[in-house]
Amino acid sequence: MQPIDAPDYNDDELLVVLMAREVRDNEVSACGALSHLPAAGLLLAKELHAPSAELIILNTVFRPFQTSRQFHFLAQRGELGLFFVSGVQIDRHGNYNLHQLGADPDRPAVRFPGGYGGGMLYYAARRNIVFRTEHTRRSLVERVDFISAAGSSPQNVVRLGGPTKLITPKATFAFDQTARCLRLESIHPPYALDEIRDNTGFDLGVDAPVPATRAPSAEELSVLRREVRRKMIDTGTYANWAERALGVL
Amino acid sequence: MGVPYVPVLGLVGTDLLRRRDDMVVAPDPFGDGKLTVVAKSMRPDVAVFHAHKADRQGNVSFGYPVDAVILAEASRYVIVTAEELVDRLDEREALGTFLPSILVDAVVHAPFGAHPGGLTNRYAPDKSAMADYVAAARSDSEFNAYLQRVVFDVDSHEEYCTRFVPQYARSADHVS
Repeated sequence: MQPIDAPDYNDDELLVVLMAREVRDNEVSACGALSHLPAAGLLLAKELHAPSAELIILNTVFRPFQTSRQFHFLAQRGELGLFFVSGVQIDRHGNYNLHQLGADPDRPAVRFPGGYGGGMLYYAARRNIVFRTEHTRRSLVERVDFISAAGSSPQNVVRLGGPTKLITPKATFAFDQTARCLRLESIHPPYALDEIRDNTGFDLGVDAPVPATRAPSAEELSVLRREVRRKMIDTGTYANWAERALGVL
Repeated sequence: MGVPYVPVLGLVGTDLLRRRDDMVVAPDPFGDGKLTVVAKSMRPDVAVFHAHKADRQGNVSFGYPVDAVILAEASRYVIVTAEELVDRLDEREALGTFLPSILVDAVVHAPFGAHPGGLTNRYAPDKSAMADYVAAARSDSEFNAYLQRVVFDVDSHEEYCTRFVPQYARSADHVS
């Protein structure tokens, strides 16, 4: 028996629903390889409010082109409306790190695959939603150890877009285009402001009360657990994860 | 492609650029001088591909879509190994990516040439052989022993297939 105030969805489902809400109809929206949460978010949006969205889910059947050269130039032409990206560390300035940890860049404590693609897409996609499945002081930091992609650029740099939001299992942050930093936008129930502050390694940028995130609706959850889950299993799109995580509390 | 360099929108202000000398920031000479990255071209001496089918002139049918053309264009010498060699392959009968013979310097008949990896639409990766590779890769000495066993001590491709590719032993094509 669940406690009475426990949410009727799991963290993965929450992130998927929040990501789906960012997808706009008639736009090209994409996520990279190894991205089961945004993949589900893209498919959920298409079932709900964005039936004419063009989806690109790399390394799956949802890939309306043959080669990564085509994807590269699609983005360079400015045709990508939305891209979902994650990083090991994300900082207040919207920089993310997918390369390495450690103060000395020549002797990193840990190396990650890094990536050229995200560092290009962060400037070319009109809106980038950064997500992180771990909301802690080690993942959300004041300054990343290594800038894989920069949150903002000087006026004299060619740039079509940048980060617009950061979504974690506890809260959503909006990127303030004037101050060029992330600000806490809403807190997911049942968390409280103190809990967010304790687990975030940078200033939240708020003083007024922070609204609660609109919880996933019954419709969002039901379409995710039925239609999207079915589609992911049938098309081999992160099928194992869909089977294991969607609808399982 | 093989062009001298390519402009890329993005990457300005990253630590990646500090650590690489093949990408620099440069003003757009045609526009208002705004900055993009200019990436130096790669000119590999040799590129090696494995495909489903090739003909004796060097026309190649990969059997699935793959970014091979751009790599072949950039490389000075291109070798294609193939599951199957035929006398003449027409572009219209190619499946997936087609590589025209003008980009290819040599073709080699090498069934199961992707082993221990898989070949899309042909055979899956050999998980047990991949696990051996991963285990050996943990130390230099183990990896050297692994190389000795599966590369240096093997006299021919046929011997490799016979000893290390389970599917090859079962395949009727090679049983006389």
